[in-house]
Amino acid sequence: MVRVEQLTHVYPARRKQPPRLALDRLDLTVAEGTFFVLTGPNGGGKSTLFRILCGLMRPSAGRVLIRGLDLLRESAAARSAMGVVFQKPALDVHLSVEENFKIHADLYGVAPSDYRRRLDEGLSWTGLADRLNHRVGSLSGGLARQVELVKALLHNPSLLIMDEPSTGLDPGTRRGFVDMVRRIQRERGMTVLMTSHIFSEAEEADAVAILKEGRLLARESPARLRASLGRELLVIQTTGAAPLAAELAVRPGLKVQTREGEVRVEGPDMTALVQEIFLNRPEGIRAISLKEPSLEDVYIHLTGRSLEQEESEGTRLSGGGAP
Amino acid sequence: MSPSMIPPVRALAMRELVRFFRQPHRVVGSFAQPLLFWIFLGSGFSPAFRMAGAGMERVSYLEYFYPGILLMTMLFAGIFSTITIIEDRNAGLLQEVLVSPASRLSVVLGKTLGAMAIALLQSLVLLAAAPFIGLTPGPGSLLMILGGFVLASLGFTALGFLIAWPMESTAGFHAVMSVFLMPLWMLSGALFPLEGAPGWLWGLMTVNPVSHALQLIRLPFYHSPAELLTHSGYLTGLAVSTAWAVGCLALALWRVGQVERGADPASAVGTP
Ligand SMILES: Nc1ncnc2c1ncn2[C@@H]1O[C@H](COP(=O)(O)OP(=O)(O)OP(=O)(O)O)[C@@H](O)[C@H]1O
Ligand SMILES: [Mg+2]
Repeated sequence: MVRVEQLTHVYPARRKQPPRLALDRLDLTVAEGTFFVLTGPNGGGKSTLFRILCGLMRPSAGRVLIRGLDLLRESAAARSAMGVVFQKPALDVHLSVEENFKIHADLYGVAPSDYRRRLDEGLSWTGLADRLNHRVGSLSGGLARQVELVKALLHNPSLLIMDEPSTGLDPGTRRGFVDMVRRIQRERGMTVLMTSHIFSEAEEADAVAILKEGRLLARESPARLRASLGRELLVIQTTGAAPLAAELAVRPGLKVQTREGEVRVEGPDMTALVQEIFLNRPEGIRAISLKEPSLEDVYIHLTGRSLEQEESEGTRLSGGGAP
Repeated sequence: MSPSMIPPVRALAMRELVRFFRQPHRVVGSFAQPLLFWIFLGSGFSPAFRMAGAGMERVSYLEYFYPGILLMTMLFAGIFSTITIIEDRNAGLLQEVLVSPASRLSVVLGKTLGAMAIALLQSLVLLAAAPFIGLTPGPGSLLMILGGFVLASLGFTALGFLIAWPMESTAGFHAVMSVFLMPLWMLSGALFPLEGAPGWLWGLMTVNPVSHALQLIRLPFYHSPAELLTHSGYLTGLAVSTAWAVGCLALALWRVGQVERGADPASAVGTP
């Protein structure tokens, strides 16, 4: 469905800013009919890939094939097959919900008869039926996202690409949105490629890819990714994280990571280790938990940083970030 | 132009119109401003005004200024319609149009035709004032005035398009408007005639394409269509205005087709 081959993108130098490598000979395949989530640290290159896929930028080198069509050569045909949802809402707030739909349908050359049918279908998924005449500016964030989703599907694309579509939504709404996408995706057998920082969203995916510094760190199903971490993960919350970590790190077979007040240990026989720690050093330890690794744990393992760390860096670098 | 372009062009042009009418202050402002300008400036300057050109000695300033005000309406309509390009880009609306399969030509035409429709509406309302200052052009001349409106508005909108396209903030556009677009209009003969202006000013005014667009609007009030077709000033105006509109449209089309490109991979120093 989507094939990215040796894709390299370098942002040209600007005033006081050297050229920046954002994608580094990236190879990626998204199979037809799958729900694919792309994740990774801030600045990993996700949005860059997204902008190239939807034709807003031309890469420095490499190829993108969409259903066998070369995106850079046959862009109009490739675009008709694609629905796009941007990170920032792309709706005209002065216009009503339905007027926004109509403009989209005209831009994509949807025949009036198809338009009616697809609109009805789109409305059946969402709670928008009685809001068609409302101005988009008066809708809540969650409803506005639904408008975007219905809009992006009006021309019946076989590929839907979305850049962090759930940012700015509360957890419940976010969940509802992703479930909706997943349901439509299954119903239609559509391919969905979406970037996300939310791991609960990635759990739903058929495959997850982690992009860091423009390269793929991993590309697996969520289950396989979790399995790759080993069976169990021991998380010890303690005030003396550093000495404990130092002590554990020298033992063979254990992989140890620390972050504020927490030591994470991966290895073969965790149960024995729990007993040992509990017997020897109970002081300073607030909690010990033995858990099945989540995707977030895999992410931390692979990228070596936590989401909180990343978010604070992200906001510092961009001088504000999304509210 | 192909039939498949009609829906996107219509949709984009309609969006301009609908948005215009949904903002009442914009509607009121765009009709009231030229009218107030005309009445206040026109009446205020009238006693001091003596037309130098042959055959125009009897022209009051209110009358002299009238075609200039019509032209200003075109200019403002073009500016306000293209300033929305910057807002659209910041709101993500432009990106949504650019990722659609709609052709680049339909993006440019949708915008310019929408802006032109707004400009025409405004000028038609102003045109109703013509008989009150004794200007009663015949149907043929009226058609030629409308033709002048179309050309001038295409030229201004396409120029505004070119200026707005690379801009990141509307403040930048306002700056360009006050140091470039407004002077173009002021030095077009809209406010004062070329004849009698100091030499350097006269030079500027003669090369100013807006002066020529003004001729297309002013001359039909005083000449029949048959006379105009042999009037060198009118024909020059027609040629300059057409070249201006077509040139700016072509440049706008080229600009829209330009996609941000990645730099040479070898130029990247180190990893991010
Ligand atoms: N317009 C730009 N000009 C120059 N460099 C850019 C530009 N946009 C992004 N970059 C750089 O390219 C790299 C990849 O950025 P990108 O926005 O693709 O990351 P991302 O994975 O989407 O991050 P996030 O999770 O924060 O959205 C970063 O190093 C970033 O600084
Ligand atoms: Mg991003």
